[in-house]
Amino acid sequence: MANYILRKAEPTDVSDILRLIKDLAKYEEMEDQVMLTEKDLLEDGFGDHPFYHCIVAEVPEEQQSAEGYVIVGFAMYYFTYDPWIGKLLYLEDFYVMKEFRGYGIGSEILKKLSFTALKTRCSSMHFIVAEGNTPSIEFYKRRGASDLSLEEGWRLFKINKESLLSMIAEERAVFRTTAR
Amino acid sequence: MARFNLRKAEPGDVPDILRLIKELAKYEEMEDKVMLTEKELLEDGFGDHPFYHCVVAEVPEEHQKERGPSVIGFAMYYFTYDPWIGKLLYLEDFFVMEGYRGFGIGSEILKLLSHTAVKSRCSSMHFVVAESNKASIEFYKHRGASDLSLKEGWHLFRIDKEYLLKMSAEE
Repeated sequence: MANYILRKAEPTDVSDILRLIKDLAKYEEMEDQVMLTEKDLLEDGFGDHPFYHCIVAEVPEEQQSAEGYVIVGFAMYYFTYDPWIGKLLYLEDFYVMKEFRGYGIGSEILKKLSFTALKTRCSSMHFIVAEGNTPSIEFYKRRGASDLSLEEGWRLFKINKESLLSMIAEERAVFRTTAR
Repeated sequence: MARFNLRKAEPGDVPDILRLIKELAKYEEMEDKVMLTEKELLEDGFGDHPFYHCVVAEVPEEHQKERGPSVIGFAMYYFTYDPWIGKLLYLEDFFVMEGYRGFGIGSEILKLLSHTAVKSRCSSMHFVVAESNKASIEFYKHRGASDLSLKEGWHLFRIDKEYLLKMSAEE
């Protein structure tokens, strides 16, 4: 296999994007955690205000996958903001189908993302990796990535919807506020 | 001190936002790392496409310290995207000036952010905390936060501009 192109995702790519999100989740043994629908992905990525951006890797029809797919890899990213240095590119998901690995598609995607980051004047690229995912950690370290959790002790926290709703409902009797 | 007001930041708040960013960085002993300028904060937060949003806490004139500021706390946040559940609210910076702590301003800011998250149909709020910052960890855990780094082993990685340039240039 030699030919593929990398391009910005279009609205019609949404079902392939969802398929690849699920493939990656399956690889992480979490396929049943994917709640997003094609409709959500369409609204959130291709509406007036995109909440994410995607690059896809596409092969010509004659090189399609065993099940007949031509979109064989993707990266999902968005822009975040560091109060010390400004814009950052955040790499959220990054996956190439098993039968298309080893051809440099992943490297090319990362290269394209690096270019996008620089073009939009981002200071760096951030992403998270599970500490057990040694092949990915090596892949990134080879390209200059540093583990901020290890080096600087940063821990990622989450407050889920249930707790958010709890906080909203709490009454604070003593002090008055005007939240406009 | 009893009264304070929480509101969306406006372009005129940019000098105060930068001041508070620097105060929080000083608290973390990293003040010299703040490279952002007022001009960048203005362009990035109040242009056609905001890269961040801010909520500020302000005190009425009669409660200001002598020649002190009226904007005494802030939170900076933006929206991120989880490929399994969609939109999330990401809390990036959160700080109340020392002389104004203990009055519930922090809690009210977090409550306002929770409301913003739910209103914008976010599934949850994410943020990072330094593992040594026990006071903050307790503050958040008290409000239902869970440490994903501990529970799920996620590590935050960074690829710096130097390496982005290198990758871009690779043949």
